Amino acid sequence: MRTLVLGLGNPILSDDSVGFRVVQELRARLDKPNLTLVESSASGLNLLDLITGYDKLIIIDAIKTEGGESGKIYRLGAENLGAIRHSASPHDINLPTALELGKKLGAVLPQQIIILAIEVVDVTTFSEKCTPEVAKAIPLAVSMVAEELESG
Amino acid sequence: MKRIVIEPFTRLEGHGRIDIFLDDAGDVANAYLRVPELRGFEKFCEGRPVEELPRITPRICGVCPSAHHLASTKAVDAVFHVDPPQVAKKIRELYYCAHMVHSHIAHFYALAAPDFVLGPTSDPAQRNILGVIAKVGVDIGLQVIKTRADAQHIQEVIGGKATHSVCGLPGGVSKAITEEERSDFEDKAKNMVEFSKFSLKLFSDVVLSNKEYVDIILGDVYYMTSYYMGMVDDNNKVNFYDGDIRVVDPEGKEVVKFKPADYLDIIAEHTEPWTYLKFPFLKKIGWRGLVDGMDSGVYRVAPLARLNVADGMATPLAQAEYEKMYSTLGGKPAHHTLANHWARLIELQYAAERLLELCQDKEITDPNVRTLPTATPTEGVGVVEAPRGTLFHHYQTDANGMVKKVNLIVATGNNNAAMCISIKKAAQGLIKAGNVATEGILNMVEMAYRAYDPCIACATHSLPGQMPLEIVIYDKEGKELDRLSQYIS
Repeated sequence: MRTLVLGLGNPILSDDSVGFRVVQELRARLDKPNLTLVESSASGLNLLDLITGYDKLIIIDAIKTEGGESGKIYRLGAENLGAIRHSASPHDINLPTALELGKKLGAVLPQQIIILAIEVVDVTTFSEKCTPEVAKAIPLAVSMVAEELESG
Repeated sequence: MKRIVIEPFTRLEGHGRIDIFLDDAGDVANAYLRVPELRGFEKFCEGRPVEELPRITPRICGVCPSAHHLASTKAVDAVFHVDPPQVAKKIRELYYCAHMVHSHIAHFYALAAPDFVLGPTSDPAQRNILGVIAKVGVDIGLQVIKTRADAQHIQEVIGGKATHSVCGLPGGVSKAITEEERSDFEDKAKNMVEFSKFSLKLFSDVVLSNKEYVDIILGDVYYMTSYYMGMVDDNNKVNFYDGDIRVVDPEGKEVVKFKPADYLDIIAEHTEPWTYLKFPFLKKIGWRGLVDGMDSGVYRVAPLARLNVADGMATPLAQAEYEKMYSTLGGKPAHHTLANHWARLIELQYAAERLLELCQDKEITDPNVRTLPTATPTEGVGVVEAPRGTLFHHYQTDANGMVKKVNLIVATGNNNAAMCISIKKAAQGLIKAGNVATEGILNMVEMAYRAYDPCIACATHSLPGQMPLEIVIYDKEGKELDRLSQYIS
């Protein structure tokens, strides 16, 4: 089984870099066959190119919910994406649309999609650092990904 | 006064917002575009080695990273007073044409086509790329995906990475193109030329042969007169990578043609308290507020502006389409905002043809791709035509090449005033006597905005969770009267 762990975000926009950081931590400690670790700022159609050909996909990204607790990690599945209209970029289609499009066009897409979304504080200040609340969540996110990988 | 808020935009970023203010009669008094502020970019860059900026600035925006990469690389050339070898310039242009192909295909099929293939007032649930493919067929969907991926591949091979390239160095590029790569690019470029032809035919069949759509494009709702700005080559033909910047007035007469380094003599920036995004305008004409016409220094950039300022396209197929567009629209310049979509496809044709020319250039595999900089770094300006319009990068450094000052004017900044005016005009034409509460009308207001394909705060890649399209209507005391939400995928 081929698995892709994909950290999404912007590495120089404070907490938006959290997905990148989790993947970087994982890279330092994990080296498994059939496991690919990728950091990306891609969205929509480009994202579709990236995830094609894998059986399992784990996405780590920032999320902002109304009144959400900073640093909280949500485990979501593809079914939770239904109402999301803008997964990443204004200039491209969103993730659910990309997945549906890929299906329609016969792409080999991951059967299993897990999204670990980390509640963020600041995604509008250019900085290479996460806010402390979000930085604290990184070790937990790393072990959650490791568990997902163990569970096959 | 009633206030209507459209937030966020469908098929555009999740944080932008349109505020529409109604008067007592329920007609539109004013409309504004608000964008979120990304803070601290200048500070982030200060004190870093200037040659790192071509890798940092593309991170501002995940959408046109290659445009930032090259504008930045050109600015760094200027900072180091170094002129790259011809082949390096050609490789950069080849790479950039691939970027244009990639970007313009994505915009047309994913963002623009739904409004026309399915209709501007069609069910929002269908009005997306899936609806387009349901109408035009899966084969075309596969072509869209393949051609885009091919363009992305060319960028990746030259740029070193698919999205955030690392090839631009002061004085050239990091590596040459091998014969094997050249031949692969050539095959891909040939397909792109064909796919561009097909896309223009599709536009002609679906949009131009439909009187209703042509009336929308030519109608008053999406019409605004303004100055235009864009880059041209020595023959005044459109060029994306290099040249002088030409400005024409609303009648098409050249106002000025200037070198990138002189941009501050031509452009000034107005600020308003309600938005952080500045309003660039032509100094010579002056700022008269958010109004269009000959007396207002508001200018526009992006595909239609580029075609309006140029005397034509430098490649044959694109030139033929250029002539067809202006004869259909009734002459040059064209002030029909929605014609941007047509102009974008003509540029797609040009980018593909130019890409093929460069792939067939005998010099393109020359291994001498760099002139090493030897002068003391000081200050420099780099300009390219980003997919969405003219992009300025301006850097100042100390004698060690450490960044002291960064100034960027991005395409969306250039178009800021024009977008506000276009939205207001569309809102005035469509919303009468408080009749606003249908999704179709609001989508048609958004279409004024979508034609520019603005790039605001693009770097925010957060999953926004459940974000409805929200329309809030306030009475004149600011009390909420009604709230409409729709989930649109």
